[in-house]
Amino acid sequence: MIGCQDFCGHYDWTFAYLQREYGEEALRDYWEQAIARDSQAHARALIAAKGFQGMAEYWGHTLAEEEAGYVATAGANYYRVDMHRCPSLGFLLERGQQQFADYCEHCIGWIGPLMADYGFAIDHAHNHRGQCWWEFRRASEAGAPSAPGEVAGPKDVRLRQDWESGPIDRYLRSRRE
Amino acid sequence: MAAPDFYFAINATFRFFYERWGEEGLTRYWEALGREYFAPLSRHFREGGLAAVEEYWRDFFAAEPGGEVTVRRDGEQVTLEVRVCPAIRHLRAHGREVMPLYCRHCDVVSGTIAREAGLRFGREGGDGACRQWFAPAGEGEARR
Repeated sequence: MIGCQDFCGHYDWTFAYLQREYGEEALRDYWEQAIARDSQAHARALIAAKGFQGMAEYWGHTLAEEEAGYVATAGANYYRVDMHRCPSLGFLLERGQQQFADYCEHCIGWIGPLMADYGFAIDHAHNHRGQCWWEFRRASEAGAPSAPGEVAGPKDVRLRQDWESGPIDRYLRSRRE
Repeated sequence: MAAPDFYFAINATFRFFYERWGEEGLTRYWEALGREYFAPLSRHFREGGLAAVEEYWRDFFAAEPGGEVTVRRDGEQVTLEVRVCPAIRHLRAHGREVMPLYCRHCDVVSGTIAREAGLRFGREGGDGACRQWFAPAGEGEARR
């Protein structure tokens, strides 16, 4: 049986398998169709029905279940997550088990299409070492992301001394920089 | 980090392969998963024999949330009595449509892991409750 206890391991392996056997487009399609539309139907339902409150409910449940080290900040027109200890990437890093070149990419791979479906834009960056941040706003209202510390205060992951100690991938208004 | 909502993604992944590339593509994926991702487990079983098989599955089901499974070793066979499959229980409890070939993944993935370890694997039942067994490849018909 394939279990949920080492899910991140075979999930990561599956990304590499899809890319190797069927190409990059198939992998993107997997994140959008299998994950965003099928697996994460509960996230889709919450965000469709409740917007920012739905995001808070979804990530509140999911990140608690996954025992993540994170801080969420909500306002009238945004929802922000600062991830200080990603349990998913952490699982792979602890075991030296990464098969796919950029495991972090799967999050924007499914969250991006889901948010676009409901009119939200994403500002996001990840540092490939288990830290990332996300800001969601209505696409019609989205401007520049917050400055470090402006929204999450001292818990803003960008204020960590080790935040920029390696390559960072950034997305502004759901587009990769 | 045994988060049961990951079963949603496992189920969706199987459905994705099946809908894109049919049963053949899904089976190829499971075989590769067993052969590549689980290669260290096959080595562990090959080196540790049935004692390693028994220990692995006992620990495995202790960590999977919501299952009711007994693991026992009788001579040259390790049997898993799955009274409640944790994955199918969770999928059904949340109103998810269980992918029709879901149970087949145990045959192919565990079958591949076993073969690579010099063992053989069998299953009877399914749909939320089954019996599975591992035995040396050279032995006669496994006891059910």
